[in-house]
Amino acid sequence: MVMMMAPGGTLEMAKMVLDEGAEAVYVGALGWSRRGAQDELSEDEIHHVMDYAAHLGREVRVVVNTLPSSIEIPMFLERVARYASWGARGFMISDVGAMRLVRQMLPDVHIHTSVGCGITNYEDVKFLRDIGATYVVLPYRLTVAEVEKIKRESGVGIEVFLFKTPSGGKICPGKCMMSSYFSFRRWLDANGKDHFFGSASRGGDCLRVCQTQWDFKVNNTGFQQPMTIKTNPTLWLGELPAYIAAGVDCLKVPGRDRSATLVRDIVRVYRRALDRIQESDHPDLSPFAGELEILRARWGTERGKRDNRLISEAEKATRGALVATL
Amino acid sequence: MFELSTDACNIKKLRDGDFSAYNAIYLGDFSCPEYPQNFSSNANKLKEGLELVKSRGQKAYLRLYAVPSNHDMPWVLDLIDAALELSFDAFEVHNLGLLRVLQEKKSTVPVHLGVFGNLYTHETAKLLKEYGVTRVYPNPELSLKEISYIADNSPIDVLLPVHGKIPLVISETCFIMEHTDNSKPCANGVCSFPCLEDHWLKRGRDDGSLNDWSLKDTGRMTLSGKDMCLVEHADMLVAEGFTAFYVQNKGEADDYAGRVGAIYRAALERAFAGQKDADCTPWLTELGALSQEGLCNGYYFEGAGQRYIGRN
Repeated sequence: MVMMMAPGGTLEMAKMVLDEGAEAVYVGALGWSRRGAQDELSEDEIHHVMDYAAHLGREVRVVVNTLPSSIEIPMFLERVARYASWGARGFMISDVGAMRLVRQMLPDVHIHTSVGCGITNYEDVKFLRDIGATYVVLPYRLTVAEVEKIKRESGVGIEVFLFKTPSGGKICPGKCMMSSYFSFRRWLDANGKDHFFGSASRGGDCLRVCQTQWDFKVNNTGFQQPMTIKTNPTLWLGELPAYIAAGVDCLKVPGRDRSATLVRDIVRVYRRALDRIQESDHPDLSPFAGELEILRARWGTERGKRDNRLISEAEKATRGALVATL
Repeated sequence: MFELSTDACNIKKLRDGDFSAYNAIYLGDFSCPEYPQNFSSNANKLKEGLELVKSRGQKAYLRLYAVPSNHDMPWVLDLIDAALELSFDAFEVHNLGLLRVLQEKKSTVPVHLGVFGNLYTHETAKLLKEYGVTRVYPNPELSLKEISYIADNSPIDVLLPVHGKIPLVISETCFIMEHTDNSKPCANGVCSFPCLEDHWLKRGRDDGSLNDWSLKDTGRMTLSGKDMCLVEHADMLVAEGFTAFYVQNKGEADDYAGRVGAIYRAALERAFAGQKDADCTPWLTELGALSQEGLCNGYYFEGAGQRYIGRN
């Protein structure tokens, strides 16, 4: 049976998605996931979510998908071992060296590759399987036929986002450092843990500089109206039966940085849609189309507000740095 | 004593540029298979490029396409087979899947991990060594301290980029084509190589704003607007034990590699000879003039990539 895995960006959100029928919830460990602290959970909160999930017979995945500093590796492993002892059934990881160490240390946990691994082809999937991944998250743009082929040839667990990019644009994440090029700061906490502002790969927020208005110039002459430089993915549903038939094992609901109520409502719709698919050989998903459109609109509104806040932070940090160097 | 390397994407670049300052050349454009006569996507051009580099007494490293999709894999595998028949000194690989392919083919050619290989830790370096990787290009977000740690704690060489624009984003689609005027051939999906002209993404300029953000776009890759420059810090790099240095040349004019290379050859030779505190002013003036948007240090000193911190 396919597993729906939903986000727990806050304690409240984590409980809500489990209540709505997600088989697993994923939560970011403070300072160790590709989000800012506001979308991560403290140690006490993670422990609480594990107890709550266990009570419901569900699972918890802990997101530790930053690309760490070398000197953080012992701290990383100690943390992963602790979460496993609390009952975490799996981890999301980006750094392939760290991934192999976790597999050696904890042979029975699930390892989900993070989107930060930047997979582009079936050989990437096999590489990650070979070093210990049990679930490999595929990029937004693969076709159902490609997913089916990868599942057949690799035998690894296949995870897909309920999120797709409609057209071209820059690859993100895993292959983008634009945010930190403009605004980046590093500091150590009392325990020696690195913290970063401006880099999702390193554990802060991506500051979404791709979503500001850019002038596109050729030979210093503008030839386009001001534009954003990356398209945004959107929730999808219509191909869900085909993906499940292709062998997808895990459906990942996005939204750790969205409101708890929006994520709750997304999980509610997908739960019903999945149940319908599993009950019928020819499921009719048309009744969900209207609800999905509303959710997309709410998603877009929240994304716009968040993007504006992050871009403002990037501008402020850039301005401060420039003043400091003048 | 040390190796200074740069890149040349095709035979024309290789012939037209002055590469005399360099010990080694990375052949090919790893970002765009469509680029004219690109070594990374034209197996029939490999021998000519290899022979020209070797005739100059330099090492030749072949760059493989960085983001091959499933649809690209057949031609990439054919290119690898053709390259294995030749005597390249190394392959540069950005894609972990291609590392696995090379291992399955039992290739003995050394592998250099490219910038988009996402190398952040010594543990990853140790893992990649088992796949034939002998040299890594650390992710640009790493500081010099972090890079030194990797060099000291893994059985692998580190390539240190010292000058040129920083690769920041790579995509499997062409941003320039996607935004080309409908009247041009590119708008119909037929590449007419508009990237041969300079394309820039800018904001905050021309209005007195301090938020001067700029990026150079080559279609499938976005680079920093500013040129990373470490010429002032050559003494420190030598003291840290680095021996392999790289100048990024993608998207630059034909004279860029030659002029930059001559400066770094001189600066590094002085540093390795123990002649410290060279007057960098003339070098910085020339390097600044070659850069449209100015100089930066990248992330080496733990700040935003576009900042510049001098020796003093």
